[in-house]
Amino acid sequence: MEDARPIEGGMMIGEKLEVIRIGAEAIISRLEWNGFKMVSKHRVPKPYRFPELDRWIRDRRTLHEARVITSLRRLGIPCPAILLMDRSEATLYLQLIEGVELKKVLDSLPAEEVERLANELGRMVGRMHRGGVAHGDLTTSNIMLDRMGNLYLIDFGLSAITDDLEELAVDIHLLDRSLESVHHRLRAAFMRSFLKGYATAAGMDFLQALIEKVKEIRSRGRYVEERRKRH
Amino acid sequence: MAASKLDEKLVLGIESTAHTFGVGIASSSGKILANVNYVYRPREGGIHPREAAQHHSRIAAKALREALEQAGVKPIDLDGIAFSIGPGMGPCLRVGATVARAIALRLGKPLIGVNHSVAHIEIGRLITGCKDPVVLYVAGGNTMITSYIDGRYRILGETLDIAAGNCLDVFGIKAGIGPMPAPEEYARRGERFHSLPYRVKGMDVSFSGLLTAALKLLGEVRLEDLCLSITETVYSMLTETLERALAYAEKEEILLVGGLARSRRLMEMIEEMAKLHDAKVYAVPPEYAGDNGAMIAWTGVLQLIAGQTLRIEDSRVRPRFRLDEAEARWRMLGL
Ligand SMILES: Nc1ncnc2c1ncn2[C@@H]1O[C@H](COP(=O)(O)OP(=O)(O)O)[C@@H](O)[C@H]1O
Ligand SMILES: [Mg+2]
Repeated sequence: MEDARPIEGGMMIGEKLEVIRIGAEAIISRLEWNGFKMVSKHRVPKPYRFPELDRWIRDRRTLHEARVITSLRRLGIPCPAILLMDRSEATLYLQLIEGVELKKVLDSLPAEEVERLANELGRMVGRMHRGGVAHGDLTTSNIMLDRMGNLYLIDFGLSAITDDLEELAVDIHLLDRSLESVHHRLRAAFMRSFLKGYATAAGMDFLQALIEKVKEIRSRGRYVEERRKRH
Repeated sequence: MAASKLDEKLVLGIESTAHTFGVGIASSSGKILANVNYVYRPREGGIHPREAAQHHSRIAAKALREALEQAGVKPIDLDGIAFSIGPGMGPCLRVGATVARAIALRLGKPLIGVNHSVAHIEIGRLITGCKDPVVLYVAGGNTMITSYIDGRYRILGETLDIAAGNCLDVFGIKAGIGPMPAPEEYARRGERFHSLPYRVKGMDVSFSGLLTAALKLLGEVRLEDLCLSITETVYSMLTETLERALAYAEKEEILLVGGLARSRRLMEMIEEMAKLHDAKVYAVPPEYAGDNGAMIAWTGVLQLIAGQTLRIEDSRVRPRFRLDEAEARWRMLGL
């Protein structure tokens, strides 16, 4: 077992119990402190990046994630509370969500449950967007589901505080593509319920404008090759 | 591919999506018996589809003859005729398709329509020996991350605007040093890093803001430093999204496909990233990295074995044929 971690100002927090997940960006560990369960999210240095760029990315994302989570919780959008930020270590201490990544279970859930979750997610994302936040990495591995069937959004390092329609539309594009790639059998039904939920929270007109933007985004990347070849 | 001599299959493949007209011959035991490619070089400016198509029709008979000679194969020995059905430029695609239809009809052999992007990946898997990679596809004007999931190559990430290769080429040309690899060579003498817009969305990337910002700095900072900054930023973005895709698709291999795969620095970064996840990195060697006939022939072999052939009536070219619209049934057979 590792030693307790020193925090800015020399405070000690928690005992590291186990690494629960090595994500693409961060190492997530479970901790216990005075009987409270929590996780630490440490953005590890990436040796492949130019050192200055690496430092800048990890610092900015840590700070940004803490800020965004704080404002989302004010809006009542379920995401893990920030307990502490250790900026010098690019580490956040977060509320533990006792659940699983949606990605791991989605394909094995009954159809009605998939629709209920998709609708609920749509409401959450709709409210988040109207609150001026784009998630920036909205895939099924950044959505958690607890045993009571509640959803949480996590991983806000790539998010943006914005009301630019384009940025918001990218979220829908990313979610849709994450379904298309790894849950393709559920994609159509999921997106239908998701958009219904979204409209409930954000309004039909807003949704319509957003969908137009998503179509525009899709027609850009994918056809780059043919566009180039035609000209 | 445990095929005995008796049931060994031979497929001839024709590539003609853009500037290359290529003919390859591949066998089901995984041998490339011929790979003959002729590249149309326009006198000036970009690509002219009609002129490229004219070049392809002029060269077709010669390329076919040479491929058969190189392989030591008679037309009658062939078991299938493959061609790139898309994506690409209509006029160019139609030349390859017409030649393929004519041969298939004359020989009475199956016709096989191959997705060009899938072929880039399959030749990579054959030549490097990797089995189930996440693919960074930086060929032509394209940037995408893809992997085989449940019957197809699914797109995990892509560019939201311009391709990574284009970004660096345009920068190099406007800076007066020429396209890649010039910017990377200059970068080696760079010392100071200037921060440029770093735009990553999930597994997607965007380079146009970065390019604009870099062009604005031309003449204001040392060119070597600017080259360092732009290449490091572009490659970091690609490596980061690839890392995310590797985790998301839960794979253990990485395959680099296309021109930018030749970049030493990008390869080095991706290898360092892969070490963190115990993943292995493979790159398609230059000989097979560009458009070529062998990749169409080999993918044709796989499709023939999996029964993915076409009737002449259904062999219309598909200039907008996306990678994730193509079925990859041979992968379900474990090939
Ligand atoms: N607060 C939390 N409670 C429980 N598990 C978490 C929590 N935060 C993250 N995780 C787990 O760790 C994984 C990676 O965390 P994430 O914040 O998404 O970082 P990364 O940027 O590396 O993907 C998540 O997909 C989830 O399984
Ligand atoms: Mg995550």
